[in-house]
Amino acid sequence: MAVRILLVDDHPVVRQGLRTLLEGRSEWEVVGEASDGIEALEKVGSLQPDVVVLDVTMPRMNGIEACRLIQQTTPGLEVLFVTQHDSPQMMREALAAGARGYVAKSNLARDLLEAVEAVSQHRPFTALARNPQVQC
Amino acid sequence: MKLRILLADDHEIVRRGLCALLQKHEGWEVCGEASDGREAVEMAKRLKPDVVIVDIGMPHLNGLDTTRQLLQHDPAFKVIVLTITDSDQVIREALNAGARGFVLKSDAARDLVSAVEALQSNRMFFTPRVNDLVMAGFLDKGHAITRNEPPDLPILTAREREVTQLLAEGKSSKEVASLLNLSTKTVETHRSNIMRKLSLHSIRDLVVYAIKNNIIQIQMPPHLNGTTEGTMA
Repeated sequence: MAVRILLVDDHPVVRQGLRTLLEGRSEWEVVGEASDGIEALEKVGSLQPDVVVLDVTMPRMNGIEACRLIQQTTPGLEVLFVTQHDSPQMMREALAAGARGYVAKSNLARDLLEAVEAVSQHRPFTALARNPQVQC
Repeated sequence: MKLRILLADDHEIVRRGLCALLQKHEGWEVCGEASDGREAVEMAKRLKPDVVIVDIGMPHLNGLDTTRQLLQHDPAFKVIVLTITDSDQVIREALNAGARGFVLKSDAARDLVSAVEALQSNRMFFTPRVNDLVMAGFLDKGHAITRNEPPDLPILTAREREVTQLLAEGKSSKEVASLLNLSTKTVETHRSNIMRKLSLHSIRDLVVYAIKNNIIQIQMPPHLNGTTEGTMA
């Protein structure tokens, strides 16, 4: 059964890029998109994805807050942050909010596929651009 | 013959999204991708694209300076600037640099195709807000947006702007020298001149200057104290 993925980023062009990368894998299916945290919560409820690929900085509700609420309402749903905030502190906050993975957008093409694979199997995956493997 | 487009953005994921968007259009071809401004200038000289799309916030050489260098090399280049902000200052700098198109990244999915179509027909393309500012400039001659008034700042040379960006990005003089194929001594001379022209006293001051003048761009992270900055009231 295909892993169902929800893409959440306020830039349609980024969502398109993520989709292009992810749809190359037949075992994954992008089931929907959202442009902010509130829409993400609505789509989690209606689409029941297995993995949410989530940006941090978004209007209306940012990714960190959305992640917390997702974990409260849908425990077990895996969240992978994909963000341009290439900082250990932000990564720690994201993981504390319940995310399973965190990758920097600047190295996304290198890390995304491995990250989604890990997270979909409930394994952690973190990679910052400056320090590819950062211990939290 | 297909319209050839060169993309320049430091995020591969954004380039992939832009590629997917543009290549749906029959008759267009993305002939190259660059991940920073210096690479964009080098590729544009070599590939001679019909249209160049540049992100404003790129490392090593930002999008505005990339635009200036491209047009200095060949005024026939048609450049669309992609930006996350449409502040007056950014708009003015993009226009003064010679960009023929100005598109907000958040609206790229909606506007970029129209922008490329416009440039293909030798027209310009700006967001509605930019159009309003340009019109306001025509109607009110006191508005500086359409006049080539120099900014109220000491003018740095193109090389000094390049050095400013690299230093503000945290590179040492030695690293800057290596990137620009200069001697370390020359870079340090540029650095002294920059600091003197701008009356700056530290690298921290230089970073602040670079941010204020769109030489580098930063995105502030959300507050992480449980509040949701940016949520609607």
